[in-house]
Amino acid sequence: MTHKGEYTDEGFDDAAIDAMSDEEFAEVRTALGLAVPPVSPNPEIKAALLARIAQTPQLAPLESPEADAPRIAPAVSSSDAAVSESRAPGPAERRASARWLQRPAIVLTAAAAAVALFVAGVFAGDVLRGGAPEPDQLASIIAAPDVTTLVSEMAGGGTATLIASESQGLSAMVFDDLTPLEAELAYQLWYITDGVPVPAGLVEVSTDGPTVQVLQGTFEAGTVVGVTVEPASGSEQPTTEPIVAIATA
Amino acid sequence: MLVLVPADTDLDDAAPASPPTPDAARDALGAADALLLKVAAGDQRAFGELYDLIAPRMLGLVRHVLKDHAQSEEVLQEVLLEVWQTATRFDPNKGRAVTWMLTMAHRRAIDRVRSAQSSRDRDVKIGIRDLDREYDQVAERAEIRIEHERVATALNKLTDLQRQAVELAYYGGYSHSEVSTMLGVPMGTVKTRLRDGMIRLREELGVAS
Repeated sequence: MTHKGEYTDEGFDDAAIDAMSDEEFAEVRTALGLAVPPVSPNPEIKAALLARIAQTPQLAPLESPEADAPRIAPAVSSSDAAVSESRAPGPAERRASARWLQRPAIVLTAAAAAVALFVAGVFAGDVLRGGAPEPDQLASIIAAPDVTTLVSEMAGGGTATLIASESQGLSAMVFDDLTPLEAELAYQLWYITDGVPVPAGLVEVSTDGPTVQVLQGTFEAGTVVGVTVEPASGSEQPTTEPIVAIATA
Repeated sequence: MLVLVPADTDLDDAAPASPPTPDAARDALGAADALLLKVAAGDQRAFGELYDLIAPRMLGLVRHVLKDHAQSEEVLQEVLLEVWQTATRFDPNKGRAVTWMLTMAHRRAIDRVRSAQSSRDRDVKIGIRDLDREYDQVAERAEIRIEHERVATALNKLTDLQRQAVELAYYGGYSHSEVSTMLGVPMGTVKTRLRDGMIRLREELGVAS
């Protein structure tokens, strides 16, 4: 193993001795890799990934007889959130305005997660182009030890992921696919506590990828985070049905 | 994790024994094993901690190979999503978490650089001396710097041809035939020097095979 320089040019089969993939040199390659100066990624990448993994199933362990069958990843704080069919609410449901405040977060199906996985490859670049007015706040949310993520489908398609930290008193919403609105309209965020909605800022929609928006105001556990379509200047109270509402534990 | 080098490997070796400095950078990454096992159980918070630990190392390596920052961040995301998905198949008995994850990152970086059209005219400054220059531009934690110096010292123990082959193949992501062309030596020679270089590095670094 440690004898050196005894090999001839003809002595190796190409596939068998590739020092760049041979298991034998895995630790050496690791040392070479760790010798490179670290580079800190943009905080938005972590936010995007935390949103991604919340809806991406993990592979079954190899020992399992049903290897390769996807396993749904449990959302961190969704233990008390009902798992429901992922479907857009019907007109009757839309009218039931009282209910949206309590609508539980949806744990995505494997199919939806597969779609999420599909777009993940370009996610970082898209988020970076999306404009991030509060990178410091976003960074403190995703760095918090108590950061939690909750995923929900939006009425009309797409998913919204709430990334929240009670210790930081902050939360952010990540929207997969937010339809741009006409100029006189805007998506408005709400913190709803005990049924009372408080404005939490407008969403700056990214036109070419996921949108990340930190909410204004203080996040508290048990709060519902909702999104409605409002006049571009924002409203004091919601004036339309929510496109999504996520209840936190 | 320092491994004592068996005495017989030092017989024809002018190099000193294993460096006295503890492997601090690796110790700092030692938490990765426990975290990855938690991630395998679906623990998203553990994934966040694991990210903090490994993402800067991954991005450093990937960007060193790819050069392009935006592409490197894309690859970083792909790799970390793969870590999440396949953590269930990590076997701690077969190797360390940091090795498992960096191997994934390196492989994806090489896949990307080889598939990119621009890869043929990308920067060839990929050697350890260029790393020195990168280090001069940033204030790094001491243990990371020590790890770098340890590898730089080990690389300098190689013959020029061995070192060039290792640097081109690992940091440059070049195939055997490309390295053969670049260095103007037969492909078999490249393979031999590469393997000899890696064996020598393993001895110098005192890492397990």
